[in-house]
Amino acid sequence: MTESNRLHVSDDQLLAGLANGSDEILEELYRRYFPMVLHLIQNNSGSEDDAKDIYQETLIVLYEKVTSDSLELHCQLKTYLYSVSRRLWLKQLSKRSRNGHSLIDTEDLADVDDDLIDHEARDRQFDLMADSLDRLGEPCRTLLEDFYIRHLSMQDITEKFGYTNADNAKTQKYKCLMRLKRLFFSVFKEE
Amino acid sequence: MIDHQKFTDWIDKWLRNELTETERLEFEMLRRSDPVLAQRANEQQQLAKALKNYGQRTDFRSRLNRIHASLDMDAVRDEANQVSKVRKLHRNGGTIRQLWQTYRPILAVAASVALITTFGTLMLVRQYQSSHKQQEQYSMMRRDLQAIRRSQNAILQDLNARERALQINPGQVAGSGFLLSPDGYLVTNTHIIQDADSVYIQSTHGDIYKAKVVYADRKYDLAILQVHEDSAFRGKTVLPYGFEAGPTDLGERVFTLGFPREEIVYGEGYLSSKTGYRGDSTAYQVAISVNPGNSGGPLLDEKGNVIGIISGKQTSTEGATFAIKTDYLFRAISAIPTDSLKNSSIRMSRKNGLAKLARKDQIKKIQESVYMVKVFKHEK
Repeated sequence: MTESNRLHVSDDQLLAGLANGSDEILEELYRRYFPMVLHLIQNNSGSEDDAKDIYQETLIVLYEKVTSDSLELHCQLKTYLYSVSRRLWLKQLSKRSRNGHSLIDTEDLADVDDDLIDHEARDRQFDLMADSLDRLGEPCRTLLEDFYIRHLSMQDITEKFGYTNADNAKTQKYKCLMRLKRLFFSVFKEE
Repeated sequence: MIDHQKFTDWIDKWLRNELTETERLEFEMLRRSDPVLAQRANEQQQLAKALKNYGQRTDFRSRLNRIHASLDMDAVRDEANQVSKVRKLHRNGGTIRQLWQTYRPILAVAASVALITTFGTLMLVRQYQSSHKQQEQYSMMRRDLQAIRRSQNAILQDLNARERALQINPGQVAGSGFLLSPDGYLVTNTHIIQDADSVYIQSTHGDIYKAKVVYADRKYDLAILQVHEDSAFRGKTVLPYGFEAGPTDLGERVFTLGFPREEIVYGEGYLSSKTGYRGDSTAYQVAISVNPGNSGGPLLDEKGNVIGIISGKQTSTEGATFAIKTDYLFRAISAIPTDSLKNSSIRMSRKNGLAKLARKDQIKKIQESVYMVKVFKHEK
């Protein structure tokens, strides 16, 4: 991709597009800053795959901040993404217990401590939910995902799963939800 | 009593904003009136939110993966390589900053080590110095006089004005000395005459004679002087005091005469120890007050026998003066190479004619034989 056919959009436009789920903007955002992160990771004993993981996690941090309206950007978007990636990579390195956690930096840094603390909390919740859903098994998992994530109506679900009537589907959903609740809160409350 | 399933349904509808007006009112009422139900509503809300977040993230991830899969990785790699080049072009200070950031921990460690080493060394040196300080407590009682500004040669060439010149320039170091024999041999301390260019002795009357160093013994700090071919020096027939080489008892009343200033000064005390500084067996410790300039003066007992030569004092202790024993004076004299003495040996008398005299009369006689020793040296 060359400079000429690149979209010329500002940070604000990128963030707005990210918030309302524009695939075009997301793609532009992804392409714009991936080389920077790739460079960071590769220069600090990481692979291309590491770079991909770190960059995607960084974008998740950004995305979840944007969609929950809690992003307070005090610096360039570039600096923000770099700082988050850097922190995530440092954490990754310390997990792998490598020595020399001082990275070779090429960009300015911004304070992203709070954002990363938020992110860790979300991470825990996400992992817990993924784990709970795994243990819940089918068809409960799909049923609950359809209802709570994809927002299908009970009527749609009744048809999709071939229940005789909507009440049956409701009973099934209720049972599934109760099980998920037990699985999820048994761990969630301990934390 | 509403059953669980129905209430759960209501919560779902409430979360989706699908409750009818009447249902909503009833639901709100139930929540407010029953804390257990309210708790359940809360939990379900949390659960639904966690599910929604989970879905959102999974969805976002798959979008990212789709984008990533469609990336032209070669172009991205090229661009990643350019990142560094662009940075380097734009900022020369970047390298230094990078180095600083990379080596900051190492620098910190190095700096700490340097600091610890520095202060550790300083402390060790201080400790060493303080443990050896006592050596410095032994101060030699010579008097450092005002330094001369004029060339010394000029003074010496002007022989006629010798006396005047010497009085104008009283030398750099002064101490005391006294006659060993009537024919002009004197004893003083080596530390007074060391590095001397020329040595002069001055009597209580103010007569000045040039003297030469016959022998200097650093070990005992004793130096033998001889009045140097000076016709003006009138030799005496006999010295008033004798020399007592035997040990003197503790508590013996002693006195000294010396030149802590231009005038002769008398000092009186008692023998307080048979050894000198740090158990030095060549010296006595005397309780007598001395000042710079007293060095080289005779230490005499009650009867007027010379029992030692004042050499120094301990600065940290009041009234601890040290005097080299006469015995070692004899040893020093016997160590003098006979060549140095030329024609005559030093004839020292053990007889003393002062025993029966009162102290005032003793002093009158003795002071004739005590001289101020003035030393000139090049300024360093």
